[in-house]
Amino acid sequence: MTTTPVPGSAPHGPRPPRGRPLLRTSYAQHMGLLNTPGKRWSTLVLVIVGFCAPLLFTDDLLQVLTLGLFAAIGAIGLNLVTGYAGQVSLGHAFFIGLGAYTAAVVGGDTDGRLLGLGMPMYIWLPAAGLVTAAAGLLIGPLAVRLRGLYLAIVTLGVVFLGLHIFREASNLTGGPGVGRRAPDVELFGINASVSGGLPGLDWTRDQQLFVVALIFLIIFAVAARNIARSGVGRAFAAIRDRDVAAAVIGVDLAGYKLLAFALSSFYAGICGALYYTVVRVIEPTSFDLLLSVQFLAMVLIGGVSTISGSIMGALFITALGRMAIEIAHYVPFVSTSVTGGGLLNVFQLEGILYGLLIIGFLIAEPRGLYGIWIRVRNYWKGWPFSY
Amino acid sequence: MSTAETLALRIREHARRTPEAVAMRDKNFGLWEQVTWREYWDTSVQVGHALLSLGIGVGDRVAIHSENRREWLFSDIGTVAVRAATVGVYPTNPAHEVLHLLRDSGSSVLIAEDQEQVDKAFEILEELPRLRHIVYIEPRGIAGHYTDERLMSWPEFLARGAEHARAHPDAVTDLAEAAKPGDLATLIYTSGTTGPPKGAMLTIDNIEFAIERVSQEGAFFDPPATSKDLLVSYLPLCHVAERCFTTWLNAGVGTQVNFAESIETVTTALREVQPTVVFGVPRIWEKIVAGIHIRMSGASWFKRRVFAGFMRLADWIGDCLVKNRGRHTVATRLVYLVCWVVCFRALRERLGLRHTRYAASGAAPIAPEVLKFFMGIGVQMHEVYGMTENSAMGTANLPGRVLLGTVGEPHPGVEITVDEGTGEILTRHRGNFVGYWKRPDATAETLDAEGWLHTGDVGEWARGTHLKITDRIKDIIITAGGKNVSPSELENSLKASPYVKEAVVIGDGRKFLTALIGIELDTVGEWAQRRRLAFTTYRDLSAKPEVQELIQEVVDETNEKFAQVETIKRFSLMPKELDHDEGELTATQKVKRTAITEQFASTIAQMYGERTPETAAS
Repeated sequence: MTTTPVPGSAPHGPRPPRGRPLLRTSYAQHMGLLNTPGKRWSTLVLVIVGFCAPLLFTDDLLQVLTLGLFAAIGAIGLNLVTGYAGQVSLGHAFFIGLGAYTAAVVGGDTDGRLLGLGMPMYIWLPAAGLVTAAAGLLIGPLAVRLRGLYLAIVTLGVVFLGLHIFREASNLTGGPGVGRRAPDVELFGINASVSGGLPGLDWTRDQQLFVVALIFLIIFAVAARNIARSGVGRAFAAIRDRDVAAAVIGVDLAGYKLLAFALSSFYAGICGALYYTVVRVIEPTSFDLLLSVQFLAMVLIGGVSTISGSIMGALFITALGRMAIEIAHYVPFVSTSVTGGGLLNVFQLEGILYGLLIIGFLIAEPRGLYGIWIRVRNYWKGWPFSY
Repeated sequence: MSTAETLALRIREHARRTPEAVAMRDKNFGLWEQVTWREYWDTSVQVGHALLSLGIGVGDRVAIHSENRREWLFSDIGTVAVRAATVGVYPTNPAHEVLHLLRDSGSSVLIAEDQEQVDKAFEILEELPRLRHIVYIEPRGIAGHYTDERLMSWPEFLARGAEHARAHPDAVTDLAEAAKPGDLATLIYTSGTTGPPKGAMLTIDNIEFAIERVSQEGAFFDPPATSKDLLVSYLPLCHVAERCFTTWLNAGVGTQVNFAESIETVTTALREVQPTVVFGVPRIWEKIVAGIHIRMSGASWFKRRVFAGFMRLADWIGDCLVKNRGRHTVATRLVYLVCWVVCFRALRERLGLRHTRYAASGAAPIAPEVLKFFMGIGVQMHEVYGMTENSAMGTANLPGRVLLGTVGEPHPGVEITVDEGTGEILTRHRGNFVGYWKRPDATAETLDAEGWLHTGDVGEWARGTHLKITDRIKDIIITAGGKNVSPSELENSLKASPYVKEAVVIGDGRKFLTALIGIELDTVGEWAQRRRLAFTTYRDLSAKPEVQELIQEVVDETNEKFAQVETIKRFSLMPKELDHDEGELTATQKVKRTAITEQFASTIAQMYGERTPETAAS
């Protein structure tokens, strides 16, 4: 009897010959994260360069990059629900805020002005994720009933509700204009939020936080990539492409939409908890519509339904403020302070740049930065042909 | 003679020595399923048992009607193991040709691939009293729909084998070991360009000779093929050339055979497998060149320019290699290195020829330009010559000793002479077949008393070492002026153009030569689209005056290369693509000249300015 391997089972028989990445003998090989030598090598180089970055860049630049890496976790979360599952969400800012405050409350000082439980990081970080995921599950049922524009409007409402709650619950959030301190990043007895926290290394706070950010991003990005290429990810994509068709082929719409919101919120919560360890102060009015739009911009500019695109987009958008300052040095009518003269200040310039970039990308390259990369790759992939 | 190597025993030997190594891969649902030598041998033995249980005895015939897939080889080896003979039927054969093959061979078991082939068998079943069992491989459309006691699924067939094996555990191996060199191993039917196909009888010893030659150093390969070599099997296995490269080479040295999903997916399969050894018929190589042409014309301006530059370099490299008999000089090596890095490596990767160390063309004449193109981009291309009747063993161009336009030097142990009177090529060696099945008359015409095989090809020696084939004797045109013209040279020169798919040169007994030309729909269609020339069908496109002009240019180019008497004065474009089902082509896509000249009689008459009954009537 001829043997018929179960689809997706481990490679059947001996290894296929070398130098032939397309000769696939199992679906596992087909679905592999790093299924070509090119991907393996470029990932390795990227990771090595990433870990060398603290030694290569100045602290102020590292801080921007660290914020970008933490923001990337949130962007990946939004991409899971909006990019992969196709459920437009403008409520991301609320989940980020919820994550940040949960971390601050669970990890905050017990004897401070505000409520704090004084728990260590390995408690407050998962707590931030889980509490936010639970909130996501509450919002989820709305998504089951609504879609498209209506869902966007409803999630927009969530942001305003959240803003109100954050403002009023001042014994938790510190109230508008004041805020509260974020907990320290301290794991295994190493406090990365204090300079020289790493024993034997004379590193600054920014260098240490960068490394922490990179490690967390790798963990969450790999996890998200695995979700995306698993059955769950395929169910998300099916719902995005046509929910009726997805239901017909046996995808549980309600369940997967809920799961998408829960997962996305979990990522947002983690992002909020970690992001504000760099900013240090969590101010309740910062979780407004603009923040949601910023995350949406990360997804759109980076590339819808791509993990690497989310990371690129997050780095790009967080670096935009820095870029605006650099531009201001060369353009005479932009002042670098809010009170200074000139036609525009850098914050206004930053806002204008957001708008222009979103419009530009949606018109010229809807697949975002990742799409540009795909274009470059395909140009050479087809060489010497065009298709 | 238990020491005699046979096809079956060779497989057993591989299974003993390297049971877990890969013998073949078969692509199903996007995955290359690997078959190890142990599985290969075990399944073949099971097939052998099943055949015994169906009453197959020594010398009986088993027909296989399927595209290339692992079951083909299991059935072939299983049949040979029980000392029966395999009869391959082309998957494209229409029912009436299947009838001829099955009735002529007297096969009692038919292994059919799918519903399509089973239907063909049912259409003609009444005329085949000897056919007792039909085994189908693909159950779709058959299981649960057809009720005939002769039908049996592949798993049922194997289960029968397993049952028989329990009762008579050594029945198959005993038979396999008792095989005699003179046993009939297979009937390979000729393509039948002139008459009904005849079954050439190849014995165990014939095949052994072929295996020895093809595995040997200095006959085809240099260095010889090993178990590390990969092949893609895509030409019909009922043809001797593919059988030689797939089954025999695999049994001889253990090369890994890869079966594509179907004939349509060959280009994908080549890309994925990147075979080290590729055998193709001229049509395949021409099609690859035409494919490059089409894809390039759709490329961006920059890529087109760059590619054109590299093609000029490839041309130059090809010229140098041709002059230097396929060997590189320092200059060509340096230029090739640059071309390889920038362009040829990627190009060959796209074509699936990146790792190809040996490529061969055979089974029909090919235009030297096509070979030169492949040599230019670094594919070591060799023209080889052989035929069914001599187990595909004739001559081959050897690496480093290529003489373009010839089919190469005789293999070791192969005697070849050119008959002084007729110019016919004669071969004599152990691979010469024993005769045509039930056709002693035809056998006597082909095999003479001294053991020489009359190939039916006319040829001459070039430089005293290489054989050059002029044409088939039957195809040589003698014009009204008494001049002998070889149509295939002209036809191949025409077919070297990417725009020409078929060309038939006519002129026997006429004052001048004319040609019927069939355009290549893909390339000409693409050409027309770029020129914004609207067309609907093949017929419509062929009738366009612009297309006539395009082909006129091709004909003019060809005419420049030949002497005045050999030029094509007029041509007509055929209004339809030639088809196997309508009897215009053989199963191996060879043109049946008589059928063509009959079908296009009025067109031909018009080219010679004669009045035909039709035109006279109007």
